[in-house]
Amino acid sequence: MTIKRNSVVSLGILLSVVGGLVVMGSCGGSSSSTTTTTTTPPPTLTNLVSLSVNLGLTGDYVDGLFTSVEVCAPGSTTNCTTIPDVLVDTGSAGLRLLSGSLGTVSLPSVTDSSGNEIQECIQYVSLAYTWGPIAQADIHLGGETASKAAVQIVSETPSPATPPDSCLSAGVNGAFPENSASALGANGILGVANYGPDCSGCTLASNEIPQYFVCPSGNCTIANVPSTGIVTNPVSLFSTDNNGVLVSLPNVSTGGAATVAGTLYFGIGTESNNGLGSATIYAVDNANNFTTTYSSAQYTDSFIDSGSNALYFLDANTLGGNIECAYPNTGFYCPASTLGFTVTNSGINGTSGSFSFNIANAANLFSTGYAAFNNLGGDSGTSPSTDYFDFGVPFFFNRNVFVGIAGTTVPNGVSAPYGYWAY
Amino acid sequence: MKTTLGVLLMLALGAAPAGAVLGEYESSVSLDQQTMRGQDRVTSAQGYTLHQITAASGGVVSEYVSPQGKVFAVSWRAPLIPNLQQLLGSYVEEVQKAAQAQTHRRGAPLIVRSKDFIFLSGGHLRSFHGLAYVPSLLPENVPAEVVR
Repeated sequence: MTIKRNSVVSLGILLSVVGGLVVMGSCGGSSSSTTTTTTTPPPTLTNLVSLSVNLGLTGDYVDGLFTSVEVCAPGSTTNCTTIPDVLVDTGSAGLRLLSGSLGTVSLPSVTDSSGNEIQECIQYVSLAYTWGPIAQADIHLGGETASKAAVQIVSETPSPATPPDSCLSAGVNGAFPENSASALGANGILGVANYGPDCSGCTLASNEIPQYFVCPSGNCTIANVPSTGIVTNPVSLFSTDNNGVLVSLPNVSTGGAATVAGTLYFGIGTESNNGLGSATIYAVDNANNFTTTYSSAQYTDSFIDSGSNALYFLDANTLGGNIECAYPNTGFYCPASTLGFTVTNSGINGTSGSFSFNIANAANLFSTGYAAFNNLGGDSGTSPSTDYFDFGVPFFFNRNVFVGIAGTTVPNGVSAPYGYWAY
Repeated sequence: MKTTLGVLLMLALGAAPAGAVLGEYESSVSLDQQTMRGQDRVTSAQGYTLHQITAASGGVVSEYVSPQGKVFAVSWRAPLIPNLQQLLGSYVEEVQKAAQAQTHRRGAPLIVRSKDFIFLSGGHLRSFHGLAYVPSLLPENVPAEVVR
């Protein structure tokens, strides 16, 4: 790990040297310096990490997208560890780690002005939640660093054992903690969404959002969180390449693939490897959604999410019935033969484009024991009035998907105040 | 044990035991309003009454009441998922069973379709929406599609 960072530093020095020589050349420097420039090997870009679609830590995670993350105590180069099998989630912001994955690395906790440890409860749509204290860490992703980032630490023995009722949507018997490798299927979640902080109003003195808490003597109240304590998309904390990410995955065949390797690039249009090219930009609304049109009906709550492990859309009745899988695969589609769909996505910036996909029989896909499928689907609602399109990991295969962060400048000048997708 | 814990939690939060809401009488709506410390906007629609409670922490919870005064549906659109124990009353048990029984679905909406109970938890972080209704309690000539 230390060696890796040293090599990044050397590259930086190399870059400066090359840059200096180029400037000299453009100012009419001698031809000999130009010759030196051309003999310098091109620098290897480090704004990237490897991605893997595999079966995860539980061995049965389908269409899960994972990477490795290095965390260090703030400012340290030795109190560090590299954590594999961290879920890459374009639908959330910030890094959340199982405490067990940290090994011997100890991280300082974030406290309020009275010295109480800040704790966070995050709800997920499935009624899962993560609950635990906020710590500070330097997050290293490839050659990029998010310094002193707030990170949520999740364990099987939090104190208090459960979050307040205001976060525990379905009670202790319903909402379930993703607090172990077996529950989460991963060592943590790396949230690289269209936005930076995971809560926009939680630092206000008048904050009433039940997300961050202090729990002196086990009695939790909503916290006044210092801005350094808000868990934030680490990409927006980088010093460069901080305007978004590019998720790049290769194609998989209709029968699926045992595993798939891809790349997560940091920055959009900031390096030679992350340009938008001919991608269409879809600006999202203030709820981070866009509109998907299918069969003349508009679904205004649609989104792309690498933290969802299928194409979740519509419902079996709306699709003509009789395609819902039998137990234990309930919630997925099991058509007798593969179905084809074409939908149109529209951004709030007026762009639109069509997307075609297939849905195969989920039970047959699962029986392969493979991890990666581009044709896995399930239901998102109960009727057309509640349905939407959640374009999960299958959407990402065979394309470059850019996730633009709210508040950044879109490289080609499009207005996207709440962030954007481009593909 | 679980009952004790529930009572303890309510005491700790200083909240009145909010009786079952879905399937119960309209009077339980005001309890929700108190707990959410929100504004209740009441409108009359064709065949039912709609209460829309805007919570102090943002978001709207809607409660649909039949002419007989029973809450036949609830829905929400909010940055956080509301307290479903309070909103759904005893129906929450069906949601709890379904939540625990999820296999393979990850980061996915939670849907319950049982004989006389429909439930959806949808959306994503910072933008959740969902609904629950009891088909047998739908007032005459009110289609399920009004619940959204």
